[in-house]
Amino acid sequence: MISRPFFEVVEPGLETSVQELPGRIGHWEQGFPPSGPADVWSFRLANLLVGNDRDAAALECQFLGPTLRFLQDGVIAVTGAEMTPRLDGEAVALWQTVSVRRGQVLTTGGGRTGARMYIAFAGGIDTPPVLGSRATFHMAGVGGVEGFAIKAGQVLPVGQVTAPVTSHQAIPEMRPEIETGKRVAVEVVAGPNDDWLGEEGVAGFLAADWTVLAQSNRTGMRLKGPTITFAPRAYDKLPEHGQDPANILDHGYPVGGINVAGQTPIVLLQDAPSTGGFINPFTVPSAALWKLGQIRPGQQIRFKAITLDEAHEMRRRQDRICTADQALRPI
Amino acid sequence: MIYEKPRFYPAGDRYIEVELGNEMSFDLNIAVHALAAAIRAADLPGIIELIPEMASMQISYDADRISFADVSREVERLYTVSSGSGDIELESRLINIPVLYFDPWSEACIAEYRSRVTDKTEDPELLCALNNLAGRSHLRRLHATPEYWVAALGFWPGLCSLMPLDPRARIVAPKYNPPRSWTPKGAIGIGGAITCIYPDRTPGGYQIFARTPVPIWDREQKLRAFRESLALFRPGDRVRFIPIEREEYDYIEAKVSDGTYEHSMVDYQKFSIANYRKWLSKVELGV
Repeated sequence: MISRPFFEVVEPGLETSVQELPGRIGHWEQGFPPSGPADVWSFRLANLLVGNDRDAAALECQFLGPTLRFLQDGVIAVTGAEMTPRLDGEAVALWQTVSVRRGQVLTTGGGRTGARMYIAFAGGIDTPPVLGSRATFHMAGVGGVEGFAIKAGQVLPVGQVTAPVTSHQAIPEMRPEIETGKRVAVEVVAGPNDDWLGEEGVAGFLAADWTVLAQSNRTGMRLKGPTITFAPRAYDKLPEHGQDPANILDHGYPVGGINVAGQTPIVLLQDAPSTGGFINPFTVPSAALWKLGQIRPGQQIRFKAITLDEAHEMRRRQDRICTADQALRPI
Repeated sequence: MIYEKPRFYPAGDRYIEVELGNEMSFDLNIAVHALAAAIRAADLPGIIELIPEMASMQISYDADRISFADVSREVERLYTVSSGSGDIELESRLINIPVLYFDPWSEACIAEYRSRVTDKTEDPELLCALNNLAGRSHLRRLHATPEYWVAALGFWPGLCSLMPLDPRARIVAPKYNPPRSWTPKGAIGIGGAITCIYPDRTPGGYQIFARTPVPIWDREQKLRAFRESLALFRPGDRVRFIPIEREEYDYIEAKVSDGTYEHSMVDYQKFSIANYRKWLSKVELGV
């Protein structure tokens, strides 16, 4: 594939990174997390709108978007959080194909709703893959552009566009509905360690409103809420499990796991540590992870328990929606 | 205890936690690695990757290709085979890590913590006191004696949990409370009965007493050892610490920085669990 320099970073925004799906797979046992976009749904629709494979590398912008100057004519699409994108000063509609010309400048601002905006480029961002993926794991400096979030002055390449891109819009009913109210409902599946909370602890956790703290990032979302209570087994255990009732022998950490670090629940996100010594009583299923990617600090989460079968059904439904046939219509 | 049968817990719709027991022991960790090797060899469609840990492993799976019930059934079957009476030989490289014990960087880090956070006993002295060691030389000699088993990796790229394969070399220590805000890259520490090498300048909680000039992960993949992966160790590798003096430390550091350092690694061996157990029973008779 021939790639060409496509845009220059004028302003990087708060933390704008190259992400790709399925992420960095196969190196988790050595401590490399999958990474990838926090809101897979918006990310995939952005790629579909520019005619890419839905999993191609694109930009994830957090809270405050970047300013980009285009070095070539091309096609882009912006989805996810509304960050008032403008092309040479003119408002750009989200959720649709947009043509850009060489020399034009895309500016974006602070998000008004949601937390993450995605910008896809026809051809897909073509930075070199590291350990099999272009996804950025910026905490450790792996992937993306030289390991980190993009910086002013960098020039990013995109791959060759093989077929002409026709203009589309994502059908409103097929877009993720980003919650703008105070409270967001997020699905969870019980396990792997719900038995450490016991019935009472589980009921208490699910009945609470959990406030999202500002100390949240791509590794995890920190929550504040009522005191968590534990089952007797959390106290009656071998010393190697650790002293805190929430401690367990070091074990693997699933993406979406609700990690009980003492009394602070941390929802483990795409760049979370691979292992650690705290329990994960619940896990947010893959099809609900996008909601976490769009929650802002100060919003509250109410978790809603669903069965594993329901989680599989949710994933299959979202998987069907995130296809050009289902999600797009020509404009 | 080691459970009779593995226990399977869903971790959302893409992961399964498989618990083989609830203790920290070499036997249990070996069971985890033997099962991981068996799952990999079986190459089951829909199983994506594994994170073997102390007493459990996390399996990533694609539920559109294999169900939770089928993963559980297949893994249980493989566990019966892998934990059977026959010997198991695991791929196990032996990696030599040169170490400067009681290095000035760890000492400076400890001194800063003692002056800014809490006036704790210095880490080497604490390790000696808790393990009835005569002094720093005794600590160095004991720590550099055994081979260590890479029981697990994680939390940070390349961060390893090492268990001594010789029970006579077991050294234990509590973790820092509160944790350190930083640790020198390459510092060697002990927490619980586990030795770790800090892959980078990160926060930490283990008692530190040595440092290696050799990188155990490198995101730039400059050295030959990092051509295939950014992290040096794989679960099931063995590690030996080679005590060095400051002059050699500086020499190795220079080789690392000019990109010519070659990690000292033996990769023609397998680790026979039956042979190890035979040796261990002799050692334990002696103890």
